[in-house]
Amino acid sequence: MNAHVPAGKRRGGHVVRILTIGAHAFTQLARMKVFHFLALFAVLAIASNFLNLPQHEGPESAGAAVLRSIKSWSLGAMTLFSVVIAVAATALLIPKDIEDRTLYTILAKPVPRIDYLAGRLLGVLLLLFVSLLAMDLLMTAVLQARTAIVLGEQRDMAAALGWPHDAVESLLAETRAAGPGWPLQGAVAAVFVRAAVMASIALLISTFSTSTLFTTVVGLLVYFIGHFQADARDFWLQGGEAGEGAAARLASLALALVLPDFQLFNVIDAVIEGSVVPLATLGRLVLAGGYYVVLFTLASWFIFAEKEI
Amino acid sequence: MSEPVPAVEIRHLVKDFRTSFRRRPLRAVDDLSLTIRAGEVYGLIGPNGSGKSTTMKALLGLMAPTSGSCRIFGKDSLKVDSRDEVGFLPENPYFHKHLTGVETLRFYGRLCGLRGRALDDRVVELLDLVGLTDAGGRRLAGYSKGMLQRIGLAQALVQEPRLVILDEPTAGVDPVGSRGIRDLILALRDRGITVFLCSHLLEQVQEVCDHVGILCGGRIVREGRLDDLISIEDQTEIVIRRAGADLVERITALVGESPGASIVRSGRPRTTLERLFLETTTGKEGGA
Ligand SMILES: Nc1ncnc2c1ncn2[C@@H]1O[C@H](COP(=O)(O)OP(=O)(O)OP(=O)(O)O)[C@@H](O)[C@H]1O
Ligand SMILES: [Mg+2]
Repeated sequence: MNAHVPAGKRRGGHVVRILTIGAHAFTQLARMKVFHFLALFAVLAIASNFLNLPQHEGPESAGAAVLRSIKSWSLGAMTLFSVVIAVAATALLIPKDIEDRTLYTILAKPVPRIDYLAGRLLGVLLLLFVSLLAMDLLMTAVLQARTAIVLGEQRDMAAALGWPHDAVESLLAETRAAGPGWPLQGAVAAVFVRAAVMASIALLISTFSTSTLFTTVVGLLVYFIGHFQADARDFWLQGGEAGEGAAARLASLALALVLPDFQLFNVIDAVIEGSVVPLATLGRLVLAGGYYVVLFTLASWFIFAEKEI
Repeated sequence: MSEPVPAVEIRHLVKDFRTSFRRRPLRAVDDLSLTIRAGEVYGLIGPNGSGKSTTMKALLGLMAPTSGSCRIFGKDSLKVDSRDEVGFLPENPYFHKHLTGVETLRFYGRLCGLRGRALDDRVVELLDLVGLTDAGGRRLAGYSKGMLQRIGLAQALVQEPRLVILDEPTAGVDPVGSRGIRDLILALRDRGITVFLCSHLLEQVQEVCDHVGILCGGRIVREGRLDDLISIEDQTEIVIRRAGADLVERITALVGESPGASIVRSGRPRTTLERLFLETTTGKEGGA
């Protein structure tokens, strides 16, 4: 028998294991047919912007509006697909591992349960990242092409009408601002963060749910509730006024600690409208997203650590 | 070092399952104690639902015992490091069907901290060991039940564990393959690796195990060295090749003369169906 290396030394760290499990989950998901279809639909949805109907309005008002609608449509498609992928993929993974008994073989290796959960989540995040990146590239390409067309039209129109130089330049600048650019990438990042939070929520649900369907439905419900949370809070705060103000504020703070406020992600709409999102806002968004992802992963661990498999 | 640490030490293990809210819990394992010393091949046998798989899962820390404790090489099963030196093959294993055999083994190898050349070599070695070298590049979706069982066995052995736990290792494997697994278990034993298995194929258990426990209703009802358990103390067996009728007659007469002795049965030993199968499908002499 060969000399025995103490196994604990050989075992490697958390990071290696989480990456291994993440890569495994990613391969597994990427090879599922469902996600091929989803990806195809997402690509078609965005690519459809190439063949828009001819404009009836004059180029000076239509220009920026067309670009805005492309952005709105594309980011809408990204949001929809990323949230659906996040919830469905996460909801699929753990029940599938239990059904296939791979959970037995994985956890029978020296793998702490938190590594398993974090790895599975990482796999979903990788899938989200790759699909959003592809959609982003496509959207930027579409937008680039359409912006060039609109700019050309506007130049022709201005020349025909004999606009002064300043006016032409300011119109073109406005159009360019509505085209592709960094704020748009920031909005895509926000879409990713939101999907990541949704994935971690689905992870938490799937640790106690018994079926993929249940996890998916509850996950999507939480998503909608998250959108109404801020409205409800505003309503309470206004209704509560002086006396209960402090208590209500405390309650809403407590709620915000455990349930993400998806209105944070309204920056996406702001970007579509063409306003520039300050880097600080984006940074806060990423931090808040990271907080919720870690929170939900730890919560999943507390439940999963006790789970009988 | 006085007494070496046992490979497996289960003390008063009890495992209850909640069934429904009103009824009382189902006791799957009832006050089970078991010790397997390093180097033994231990076979757990018992009817369906007697708690064999549950015992193994508790030993691996996959489920927490209701009471009692399990230790592997002295380390508590509820701690992650107890699983450093264990390989486990669950019953009816099934792996992610989108991955190939090689990818599956690489995945489990990495989880155990193998990487680089060592991992590559180990994967090739294991595929060869379980006879899946040709199928290694194919996705598991196309594997048969027996092939899955073998990839499961390879997966269990990936980090060269000192203890191997096999839940029905030969279920669904053809006789040649199951003989291969039997030989593999014997090879593991020869290398000093402890094996803890359960199976319904009693002949095989009898062939490979040196210790056996019989589980019934969650309790160990008999346990001990196989030889002690199955030898019939007051009988002796003689098998003679090419014995003529007169020789048989003389022996019978001789037995008749000795006081107290009697012939229990005589006749031709039959070959087993397994041996016949092996002889006709592999052309080799099957008997051990
Ligand atoms: N997760 C579970 N929830 C509820 N009951 C369970 C669970 N797992 C096992 N049981 C029950 O525990 C008992 C023992 O099951 P176990 O799987 O250990 O049997 P086994 O000896 O492996 O049987 P087999 O030979 O059929 O594999 C059975 O009555 C079974 O119904
Ligand atoms: Mg069983």
